[in-house]
Amino acid sequence: MNELMAARSLTTRPVVTLGGDAVAQVKDTVFDAAAGRITGFTLSGRGLLSGPLKQSLPWSGVHALGHDAVMIADAGVLAETPVVVARREAQQGRVLHARVLTDEGTEVGTVLDVVVEGGTSGRVVGFRIAADKSLVRGSRRRRHRVYVPRGETLAVSGRALVIPADATRYVADDLPSFAARLGAFHDGRKEAPS
Amino acid sequence: MMLFSQTRGLPVLTLTEAEEIGVLRSLTVDARSGVVTHVRVRGRHARKETVLAWGALHAVGPDAVLVRSVAAPAEAPPHHELPGLRILAETGDQLGTVQDVVFEPETGRIEAVRTVQGDLPADRLLGLGEYALVVRAG
Repeated sequence: MNELMAARSLTTRPVVTLGGDAVAQVKDTVFDAAAGRITGFTLSGRGLLSGPLKQSLPWSGVHALGHDAVMIADAGVLAETPVVVARREAQQGRVLHARVLTDEGTEVGTVLDVVVEGGTSGRVVGFRIAADKSLVRGSRRRRHRVYVPRGETLAVSGRALVIPADATRYVADDLPSFAARLGAFHDGRKEAPS
Repeated sequence: MMLFSQTRGLPVLTLTEAEEIGVLRSLTVDARSGVVTHVRVRGRHARKETVLAWGALHAVGPDAVLVRSVAAPAEAPPHHELPGLRILAETGDQLGTVQDVVFEPETGRIEAVRTVQGDLPADRLLGLGEYALVVRAG
């Protein structure tokens, strides 16, 4: 399985051509309406004083999403921003802070971040959520932050997001253990007689 | 077989007059074809940098570089210094930095890029820019 990454950690990651030139850096990650995959990135210039760029990067132009850079074939794949942003206004901002409910109707927390798979798929595999006490027992002082898998079917309405109830049995505290849990979660679903 | 680090500082002399035009500063590489295309020479006193095409060289030896002509090449590509540059796999993962480059002094052909983790053969090189040397995933 490819490395998992929190979408927020992608901000400031350099966008590098296969020719070895850094042409921009990631400003925001844009998802499709079902929060199923990345549709692209908005960009800013590289360096402290550079602002947002007019151009953005549609996912179709991404060669690979890696740990240290977003690779593209060349600067020709960058598109005028409205192409990517039209979808962004429909969705981004909506997933973050959305309430997370299971399909059995239990509220388990609110979305803090979106977890994506590196490589070429651009798939959203889960969410980092501020967990309610119903999900994680522990410190009273602060809420727990955990990762939950997304499940194949997921409903997103804008203010709430519904995940399968069994996904809550595969929560993890950090990304490496979440990767292992995800494998178990998908294996479990395959075997489950449904 | 020779290393880029061994060429740095070699005196550069003309073949016909044995006149020293300076010392070798750096080698410019075309990553896609995997060859050294130009050499950069700095004058000992003038501190002026001269760019010479690889074809203008007569020999790169262990103690000196001999050149046939000091005429400036028609066009010099932008120079990206390889030693010290970060290496990115095409997957977007960093593979360390370039420690040194192994090349054939007779032909200018790059054999391998030396890193802390080992040598990367030249056929993995994809591109060389101001930010990184990009290599095929191994």
